[in-house]
Amino acid sequence: MTLPGYGLLKGMGVTLRQMFRKPITVQYPKVRETPVPRARGVIALDQEACTVCMLCARQCPDWCIYIEGHKEEQEPSKPGGRVRVRAELDRFDIDYALCMYCGICVEVCPFDALFWSPEYEYTEHNMDGMLHDMDRLQDWLATVPEPPGLQQ
Amino acid sequence: MTRTNEPDQTALTGEAAAQTGERPRRRTVDVWLTGTEEPDYTDEASQEFQPDDTERELAEQLGSVVDDDYFIEEQPQGDDERMIVNMGPQHPSTHGVLRLQIELEGEIIRRTKPIIGYLHTGMEKTAEDLMFMQGGTNVTRMDYLAPFHNELCYSLAVERLLGTDIPPRAQAIRILMTELNRISSHLVALATNAMDVGAISMMLYGFRDREQILDFFEKATGLRMNHNYIRPGGVAADLPPGWRADVTEILDTLPRRLDQYDAILEKNPIWVERTQNVGVVTTEEALAYGLTGPTLRATGLEWDLRKSNPYSGIEQYEFDVITGENGDVYDRYRIRVDEIYQSMNIVKQVTDTMPKGDYMTGDRKVAPPPRGRINESMEALIHHFKLFTEGFRVPEGETYAAVESPRGELGCYLVSTGGGKPWRMHTRAPSFYNIQGLPIMMADSLVADTVATIASLDPIMGDVDR
Ligand code: SF4
Ligand code: SF4
Repeated sequence: MTLPGYGLLKGMGVTLRQMFRKPITVQYPKVRETPVPRARGVIALDQEACTVCMLCARQCPDWCIYIEGHKEEQEPSKPGGRVRVRAELDRFDIDYALCMYCGICVEVCPFDALFWSPEYEYTEHNMDGMLHDMDRLQDWLATVPEPPGLQQ
Repeated sequence: MTRTNEPDQTALTGEAAAQTGERPRRRTVDVWLTGTEEPDYTDEASQEFQPDDTERELAEQLGSVVDDDYFIEEQPQGDDERMIVNMGPQHPSTHGVLRLQIELEGEIIRRTKPIIGYLHTGMEKTAEDLMFMQGGTNVTRMDYLAPFHNELCYSLAVERLLGTDIPPRAQAIRILMTELNRISSHLVALATNAMDVGAISMMLYGFRDREQILDFFEKATGLRMNHNYIRPGGVAADLPPGWRADVTEILDTLPRRLDQYDAILEKNPIWVERTQNVGVVTTEEALAYGLTGPTLRATGLEWDLRKSNPYSGIEQYEFDVITGENGDVYDRYRIRVDEIYQSMNIVKQVTDTMPKGDYMTGDRKVAPPPRGRINESMEALIHHFKLFTEGFRVPEGETYAAVESPRGELGCYLVSTGGGKPWRMHTRAPSFYNIQGLPIMMADSLVADTVATIASLDPIMGDVDR
């Protein structure tokens, strides 16, 4: 039989000791944690690599990728050569208000046009702002770490 | 009071009001579609479909209707004064949006009725719209404190229909992740249970230590929660470099932290008084109501799907099934603490014996061709497209796969008609069944014990309502 109240005091001792330890809280805007290499922060698009195959838009479980494109004929590389047709993007929007960061689009893209970037500071006061157009998505490309994290 | 469809003659239209200078009054609207009278069942709680009197008796016997005798028919007399109190759905201690209708006699709870559905998002229906490969994104959001268990359960069901073999490394990774997930989930359960009884520091410590595990999850999968990491066929990516050191660090720090918890709670007279012999349930009752997990084991029955129905190669690892004696809140707390030790034990064994090899099945009908091959061969590219646009076909049939989630038996019943999407997916959500035990646990207990009892079941409303 222990002293009455001993258990209570023991617990309070733990709390007391904790008071003199360094807090583990990271004071966010002043101190920042470095995101892990695989972090799914924001999706970056490489417009050059994209062939407008629409695989990502079809596979997105939320249907939050909007793609439009057209075909463009290119000058043959040498005179008399074959005219090549290349698909050009007109619109590539990702609605981050809908996106659930599942990573399926990045995984399915067969031409390595989508990447995860660990950037996360793109909140908006207005929900419309969460729709990133293709230029904004292209800008994220500069923040993609090497080698791409979750990609196989 | 009767309500009619007749337009209210006294109401002024906007035009007339402008002339007379009076403020326009809103027209009264007939809210009862029946026209003249209020329907018989007007209280929100009678959610059950009410059959007419001839069928009623049969329906009651079949259990499809529960007689809702919550109306106090006669005027209460003398000491027999009863009061019905609603707790929730926005009560901080109901762990989400659970609503309890509690019938009180003074301080004593006579009857309780859990009312659910406030978080219903139709996830089982959504699953029918998603291909098997996408399904993981959906199920992982059901029980958001144990996302890996949901993914594993779904994947096991799909794989059982497919008949695919999973490489040993993928299986070991799955066990590693689910057991770590069990630890993190139990930490939250301890934290919230203690907080509901008033131990705020315990809440902070529990969440602090869970963070360490979530950091590892983030490193491995990219997200802290809702990972979509365990897929039909294996796991999405290999473990990150340096995972062994991270896991070892978790295993090293946790015992010290658990000692702290014991110091705070185990002998703490306030905690002991408020949890022992509170929310008691017997083995028979638990079995009759389908309660599983720590709630069932606290009654003394040694039932753990990891032992009785092993999955993903968990039978290779040694661990004990922890049981309690009294089936009360305190026992459930003890079981959670001890299960953390057992899970650490498993995690340690997995870390030591992690096999080498693939993390995804080599079956090309299920897994896409490797990245490198796409750039080299047109066939691989076509195959990649075909696999993702149509999804892999799962043979016709139905199956049930179950895993031991931190809350109990988590099952996935899957019907496929041979297409790329499930025809029907049903989840046997442990929280849903555990909540059914509340009325018996809380009968004739004190109001003050309510929050302790709810928290000890560790219900996740996302899991309950799906
Ligand atoms: S991460 Fe998932 S939800 Fe978001 S855009 Fe890609 S596929 Fe869609
Ligand atoms: S899958 Fe890749 S290549 Fe195809 S449209 Fe999407 S981003 Fe472009």
